Amino acid sequence: MTAAGTAIVTGAAGGLGGRIGERLAAAGHELLLVDLDPAVEEVAAAAGARAVVADLTQAAGVEAVLAAAGDDVAVLVNNAGITRDARATKMNEADFATVVEVNLVAAMRLTLALEPRYRDGAAVVNMSSRASLGNFGQANYSASKSGLVGFGRALAQRWAPRVRVNAVAPSLVDTPMTQAMPPDVLAKMVARIPAGRIGTPDDVAGIVAFLASPEAGYVTGQVLFACGGRSVAP
Amino acid sequence: MGAEAGDILVLRPGSVGDDLDAVTPALTEAFARAREALAAGRPVAVLVDAGDLLGQGSPLDAALATGLLGMVRTLGIEGAKSGWRVNVVARGEGGEEAVEETVAMLARSPLSGQLLTLGGANLGKVVP
Repeated sequence: MTAAGTAIVTGAAGGLGGRIGERLAAAGHELLLVDLDPAVEEVAAAAGARAVVADLTQAAGVEAVLAAAGDDVAVLVNNAGITRDARATKMNEADFATVVEVNLVAAMRLTLALEPRYRDGAAVVNMSSRASLGNFGQANYSASKSGLVGFGRALAQRWAPRVRVNAVAPSLVDTPMTQAMPPDVLAKMVARIPAGRIGTPDDVAGIVAFLASPEAGYVTGQVLFACGGRSVAP
Repeated sequence: MGAEAGDILVLRPGSVGDDLDAVTPALTEAFARAREALAAGRPVAVLVDAGDLLGQGSPLDAALATGLLGMVRTLGIEGAKSGWRVNVVARGEGGEEAVEETVAMLARSPLSGQLLTLGGANLGKVVP
């Protein structure tokens, strides 16, 4: 166990989750990386971290994380998320429910289950999205990511001053998911970002690390938009 | 969860309390009912508590309220060209009469994708 305590990152098999883990490890945290994808074990091994392969929509998955988390949780980053995009008129209700269950309810379940394990001064960082403000084809995703904002605001008040709870709201981030988009579609989306480029995992990981750090000790219940200005652009 | 007010569909999701298993069904039902009404050309108003939007009550009720707001904003974006009218009314001060007046206004208003907060209790706070 390190003096900085344990940092848990969900959705850690992906590029963004892995980069967040690296930043938190650099801050001295002992890492516990969680993902449904067994590839998280390789990511953890490369980072000198522990891994849990778990489905957080299931009680057994949450129990597996609790069993590995220990009693000195300093940071929880709820980064796991999926998309099932479609216009509302075409959206399958099952896809709506699945996205809400994975992105929102699973994160809430883990966050609440860990309540007795947080150390004084711990930080929860929820990965919301610029799409929480509304985004074409993402009624389910918008609901889930906006829901995380409200959940965090409430916990920030309920758990203060022992635990801080904040959210990061990225826009497009350079991950395998965005790399798979048709180039012309991606170019149109980037054109709407004042920063003129897609975000990098480092852009977001740095914000997460800041919100998790003592330097953000007076910040709770907030959302930080790390979206290159997309949230204010036409 | 719903009640009719003239030709407008009014969705009033109840409290989910501490029941995690109730969140997804509540959001999914709201989505399905709103979509059905909008496709039929009816406006939709979703009623939430203003305090829940700022997390001043139950964490799960806050998640439900802000989740509905995010959903409504997306529906407003998607339905802009089709004339969909879907909004959120945040109940604060003013009681049921203020809610009814606002819903009646929305039934004939071109507003869409908006949050209308009743009363001033949350002025000076973050904008949900």
